[in-house]
Amino acid sequence: MTATAPSLKLRALATGARAYSAVFAASAAAPYLSRPTPVRRTGFDLELTVAAISTEVEDVVSFELRSPDGSDLPAWVPGAHLDVLLPSGAQRQYSLCGDPRDLACYRIAVRRIEGGGGGSLAMHREVAEGDPITVRGPRNAFTFIDVESYLFVAGGIGITPILPMVREAARRGARWRMVYVGRSLATMPFVEELQALDGGELELRPDDQFGQPDPWELLGRAEPGAAIYVCGPPQLIDAARALQPTLNPTGSLHSERFSAPPVVGGHTFDVHLARTGMTVHVAADESALAAIRREVPGVRYSCQQGFCGSCKHAVVEGAVEHRDQKLRPAERADSMLICVSRAAGDHLTLDL
Amino acid sequence: MAKKPNPAYQAEALAINARDVHFDWTDVPTEYIPGHPYATHFWNVMHLVLPEGERAMADVLGRALPLIDDPRLQEELQGFIGQEETHASSHESFRIHLEENGFDIPKIMKLMEFLMDQVFGDHGLKGRAGEAWFHERLGLYAAAEHFTATVGEWLLDNEEFDRIGVDPMMLDLLRWHGAEEMEHRNVAYDVYQYVDGSYARRVRTALLASGGLLALWLYTSSWMYANDPTVTRHRWTWPLEFVKDTRKGLMPGIKFIFREIPQYLRPDFHPSQMGPIDKAVRYLAVSPAARA
Repeated sequence: MTATAPSLKLRALATGARAYSAVFAASAAAPYLSRPTPVRRTGFDLELTVAAISTEVEDVVSFELRSPDGSDLPAWVPGAHLDVLLPSGAQRQYSLCGDPRDLACYRIAVRRIEGGGGGSLAMHREVAEGDPITVRGPRNAFTFIDVESYLFVAGGIGITPILPMVREAARRGARWRMVYVGRSLATMPFVEELQALDGGELELRPDDQFGQPDPWELLGRAEPGAAIYVCGPPQLIDAARALQPTLNPTGSLHSERFSAPPVVGGHTFDVHLARTGMTVHVAADESALAAIRREVPGVRYSCQQGFCGSCKHAVVEGAVEHRDQKLRPAERADSMLICVSRAAGDHLTLDL
Repeated sequence: MAKKPNPAYQAEALAINARDVHFDWTDVPTEYIPGHPYATHFWNVMHLVLPEGERAMADVLGRALPLIDDPRLQEELQGFIGQEETHASSHESFRIHLEENGFDIPKIMKLMEFLMDQVFGDHGLKGRAGEAWFHERLGLYAAAEHFTATVGEWLLDNEEFDRIGVDPMMLDLLRWHGAEEMEHRNVAYDVYQYVDGSYARRVRTALLASGGLLALWLYTSSWMYANDPTVTRHRWTWPLEFVKDTRKGLMPGIKFIFREIPQYLRPDFHPSQMGPIDKAVRYLAVSPAARA
């Protein structure tokens, strides 16, 4: 098989491995030596009921979700979110902002954003008390960890994941400081709930009274070694990320991680899948992966940002516009990462 | 056999996503644990053996993707595969650095290729036997992942590395990897349980994986030590160095394996019983490579 013959020891090892598989996989006795007892879980997709809707401030409403039979919901840690399936079929993620100790109910809050993607408008206009609602989760990409000292920084509706964190920190008797920024007090939800929490220091900092916040000054409020949780506008998070290592080298900065940025500057093309014999059409604003997944749900992928390399597939025919940061030049000659890269022309044939 | 109803998830999922990490080895010494060549080679096994092992694992587990109907396990597995791919390529980049510094890497790579192909490969089995062998390999990887998660925790807890001044870039690679191993510790196990779940197979593959990993680890590290162009001591002194460096807290030691096996073999074992992963979450928030 190879030019240099493997050593005797190695060949013995390979023979041993084959004997093992002959007994435990190929023999007539194999099925009796290991009886499958698969464990398959359910309940990541939940059918809930909108039990109550409340107006928190002028354009923020909160939704209380319960299971229709009143049973407990999966437990969560502050920072968790739900995927909410909107009546239109679109999907949005909202942080859980209720009390994690109350397993009977989830609470999410949505700010109405005119001219956004329309998700918040649908939540405000089309969802009524008593409606069924389909959610997936909870899932946590912003895990609250147990430390002695915290700084929380929330901007506007970014309060939603932070509120249960502050509540939990207060409950544990940890040292905490919270800075809450927003356009004006009238637009900042959950102020009263924050004011009711014990210990710690709450600082409300509406822009109309204090002007635009200075990230350096906000982060400076953290004790050395504190865990700093930031949620708010992307500029605030980016600034905090850049400043934190110099400002508080023994502390840690936590912000929610998002994946799959939108496709920019794409055009439509067709992908022919040589092995499956199908052709899929890729729209200008979707990735080849997203289009292929409609036909081949089990296709391998992971980061969806062109750096991990999981979705590398061989290109049989057609020129590729490589948009990844991963493949070596030699690999680019005959393969592509389907999560970000696209056809240079109007079609591609993949070995899939 | 009475069929039990499918249990419902009782707690949230942890989002598992690959991180876009970058390492630059230009000024990193090959003896990155200064004064401890054996301990350095012990951790070098991660650069030498894991890339092929992790890719093979990502491939085998990837074959389980179309079999999984549970959207939660499916997305966890997608994230897992991406993390394993970035582990493999990051360790590989240091392997290239070692080769540029005079280590006979191609020789050890031939061994790995042989192992992956002839020992852990598909053995040309088809049909029912191929299916059973696929399940067996899922069991092996689930057990191996239990060890990588516990070694990951060991790496995060270790303070001796900071004290004796292990190269910071390397320490970050080891700890970032360890933290992600903790983060995705349930995935290979849950995939095994989903696809097969046989207890007999779990016991068998756990024993085989532990023995195999131990043998592979000691063989590779002692080979590297014996063939290290910078080591002037006698090349067969590695067992002595193994004991010395373990006592000094630079490696987990063999006791470790014997402590972990009984836990993994409990019939009701689940990786979530291994305690909170706060230290992993915290490390990933400060890791220079993951943050950049």
